[in-house]
Amino acid sequence: MGVEVLRMSEPQPASFEELALPLLDSLYRYARWLTRDRSEAEDLVQEAYLKGLRGFRSFIAGSNMRAWMFRILRNTFLTSRTGLRAVPPISLDEQPEIAESIADPVTPESNFLRNANAETLRRAIENLPPEFREVLLLCDVEGMRYKEIAEALSIPIGTVTSRLLRARQKVRKAFEEP
Amino acid sequence: MNQHLTIEEVHGIADGESQPDAHVRDCVRCSNAILDAVQMKRLVRDAMREEPAPASLRRRIRREPQRMTWLAAAAAVAAIIIGATMLLQRSQSPNAIAELADMHTTILASANPVDVLSTDKHTVKPWFEGRVPFAVPVPDLASTPFHLIGGRVVYWHGNQVAYLLVGKGAHRISVFVSPQHLGGAPPPAVSTLDWQVGALDFVAVGDVPEQDLAQLRDAFNR
Repeated sequence: MGVEVLRMSEPQPASFEELALPLLDSLYRYARWLTRDRSEAEDLVQEAYLKGLRGFRSFIAGSNMRAWMFRILRNTFLTSRTGLRAVPPISLDEQPEIAESIADPVTPESNFLRNANAETLRRAIENLPPEFREVLLLCDVEGMRYKEIAEALSIPIGTVTSRLLRARQKVRKAFEEP
Repeated sequence: MNQHLTIEEVHGIADGESQPDAHVRDCVRCSNAILDAVQMKRLVRDAMREEPAPASLRRRIRREPQRMTWLAAAAAVAAIIIGATMLLQRSQSPNAIAELADMHTTILASANPVDVLSTDKHTVKPWFEGRVPFAVPVPDLASTPFHLIGGRVVYWHGNQVAYLLVGKGAHRISVFVSPQHLGGAPPPAVSTLDWQVGALDFVAVGDVPEQDLAQLRDAFNR
C-alpha cells in the first residue's frame, strides 16, 4: 500500500530573526572595534538590527546575510557622530610597497612568530589605519571569504586582497624592530 | 610548475581562497610560508578575541519588534516632545486637529505605538477588517520616500479611527482615517494635513514639512 504525502504549504522563508540573531556576537565584536566603547557598541548593534528588520524586504533571499548585516552596521557607524570623527580619509598608499613575488620574507623563523604575543599583536593591529584593520578583522577574526568582505565593505575584491596584504605587512613590520 | 608562490598566493591559500598546487607539495619554502601565514591568522584571531555580546543586548534585540520600532522612533519623539508641552496646553481646546496631534505624540511615546507591525500593506489592510467598521485604504509606499510601519485602532470621541504609522527617515507621521470629519485648524508645532476621499476623512500629523504630507496624501490617492 502506497502512502502519498501531500505538501500542504510552501516552506516558510526564514525570518529576519532566524537569520540575523546568530550573527549577534560577531556584530557586537565588530561594533566594539568600531566604537571602542561598550555602550556605544550596544546601541550601534541594536540600531543595525532595527535597520535590518526594517529593510528585510529588500534583502534578497539566498544572498549573504552576514555581509548584508555587517554592511548595515558599518554604514550606521559611519554616518553616526562617532563614525564621522573616527574614520580619516582613506590613505592613498593602497598599493603594496613590496614587489617581491617569492615567499621569501615569510619563514618559520620569522621575527613575527618569535616576538608576537597577544598583547603586542593587539596593539599593532589597533595601530593599523582603520581601512586595513577592518579587512584583517573580517578575514582573520570573523573568518569571512574575500567576496563577503568585499560585499560588507562595498569595495572590489582586488581592494580586499591588497588591503589585507598591506595590513599583514604592516603588522609584521611592527615586530621586525630589534 | 616550479615558480614559488607570491605572497598574495600564500595568503590566499592560508585564507582558504585557493588550493595549494603541486609545486607547494614539493617546496619546503612555500609550504613553510603557508604554515607561517596560517599561524599568523590564528595569532591574530586569538589576540583580537572579544567577549560575546552581553545577555541584556541579546534580550533587547530578541524582544518583540514593536519595541525596536519604538526605540528608533525615540529619536523622532525626542524632537516632538519639545513641542509637546505647548501641544498639551492646547488639548483643552475643542480643536480636532490639535487633539489628533496630541494623540500622535502620545502614541509615538508609548511602548507599542502600533498593534500590527508590518511594512506590507497586504498585512496591515486585512488586519483592520472587523476592527473598524470601514475598509481602510493602505497605500503602496514602495516607490515613495515613505515606509509603512504599522497600524492600530484608536478611539476618538468614542469612535473607532484607523491609525497608520508612516516613517520618512527617522521622522514619524501619523495618519488617522475615519468616516467622521476629523478636520479643523492645525496647531503650529507640527504639520498637519487633512483631506477627504469619498466617505473617509484623513488627517496626517508629523514633524515634517507640509509638502511631505501632500506627497503622502498623493500616495494614498493614487
